[in-house]
Amino acid sequence: MFLLRRLRPDPNSPLVRLSFIHFARWTVVKRIPHNEGQPREKLRYKHLFFESNFNGGWEEYIDAFSHILTAGMTKLWGSSYGFPKPLPTAPFKDYIRRNEIEASHFYSAYPDATKSMVSAALDLDQKLAAFKARACDLEPEQFSREWRAFLTDVQADL
Amino acid sequence: MRSSNESGQAYAFMAMTPIVQGEESDLRSYLEGIPRSSSPLAKLPRTHFARWVILEEFHHEAGQRRREQLKSQYLIFTSNFDGPLDSYLDELGEQLVEEAGEIWGRCYGCPRPAAGAPLKDYLLHNQIDTGLFFAAYADATVERVVASLDQRERMIDFAVETQGLTPNELQRRFRQEFCP
Repeated sequence: MFLLRRLRPDPNSPLVRLSFIHFARWTVVKRIPHNEGQPREKLRYKHLFFESNFNGGWEEYIDAFSHILTAGMTKLWGSSYGFPKPLPTAPFKDYIRRNEIEASHFYSAYPDATKSMVSAALDLDQKLAAFKARACDLEPEQFSREWRAFLTDVQADL
Repeated sequence: MRSSNESGQAYAFMAMTPIVQGEESDLRSYLEGIPRSSSPLAKLPRTHFARWVILEEFHHEAGQRRREQLKSQYLIFTSNFDGPLDSYLDELGEQLVEEAGEIWGRCYGCPRPAAGAPLKDYLLHNQIDTGLFFAAYADATVERVVASLDQRERMIDFAVETQGLTPNELQRRFRQEFCP
C-alpha cells in the first residue's frame, strides 16, 4: 500500500499519456469485512484489485499499457504471483485473461465519448469562454477575424 | 487530509459484500438482465462510471503455495463519481430503493429494506479503500463533462454551417448559439 501511495500519478506521469483511460484504480484487498450470517473469511494472501475504465479495444489497450507504462507496471504488479512482466505482451495478456473478472453490469454516463473527446471538450469549453468574453461585442469585421483565429487555435479540440 | 480514494473532486468507491449461499445465480441473472440503456445508476447523476462484478473465486497462480478458497462469492460494487461520498450514498439509498433489494438484498448482512441510512451504513461497513486512484479529468463533474461534450458537438456543427457567412450574419448567429 505504501508503494501505491508513492506512485500517486501526477500530470506528467505515463498514466496521463495513456490517452484512453478515463478512470483507473489499484486496491489491495487485505481483509474482507465481516457481516452477520456470513461464513467467516480469512484471506491467505493480499489481493491486488485493478479497475480500468477505458475506451477502445482490449488488445490495443494492453499493448499501449505495456509499452508506455512498462516500468510502472512492474512496480505495481511485480509483487504478484505469476506476473510475467509487461513485455513481451503475449504472456502478459494471458496473465490478465486468467485473472480478469467480467462486469455483470457496467454503467457510463457518456458511453459514446472517448477520453480524448472529453479532454478536448473540456479544453474547448475554457477557450470558448475566454473567446466569448473578449469577442462577443466586437465590431462584426473584427469579430469575423477573431473567429477565424479562434477556430485555428481550437482545431485540435474539434 | 485527502484520502487515497480521492483525486481532485472525484471519488473512487468500492464495496465488497458476501452473497448469500444459493443466491449467486439469481443475482447474476438480475444484474446481467439490466439493460445498459436503462441502468439504475443513471438515477445517480454524479456517477461517471460504475459496475457490479461477481467474484466467484481467485485464480490460482504458479508459485502460490496454497490455494485461496473463498467461503462465499462476493459482489463488488465500484463507482467513480463526483464527491463527496457521504451525500452520494444518501442519494444511492434514496434513488435505488427498488433495485437495491434485488442486488444487495441477496448479500449477508444487508438491511431490510435495503434503503436509506441502513443501506448506506452497510455499504460503508463493507468499503475497501483504494490504494491508487487515477482520474484523467479529476476536477470535471459529470454535469460539466456532459455539457462540454454537447457544446463541442454544437461548435463543430456551427463551424461547418457558418462558412461563407457575412461578418454581420456570423456574429448574429454566434450570439444566438453561444451567448444566450
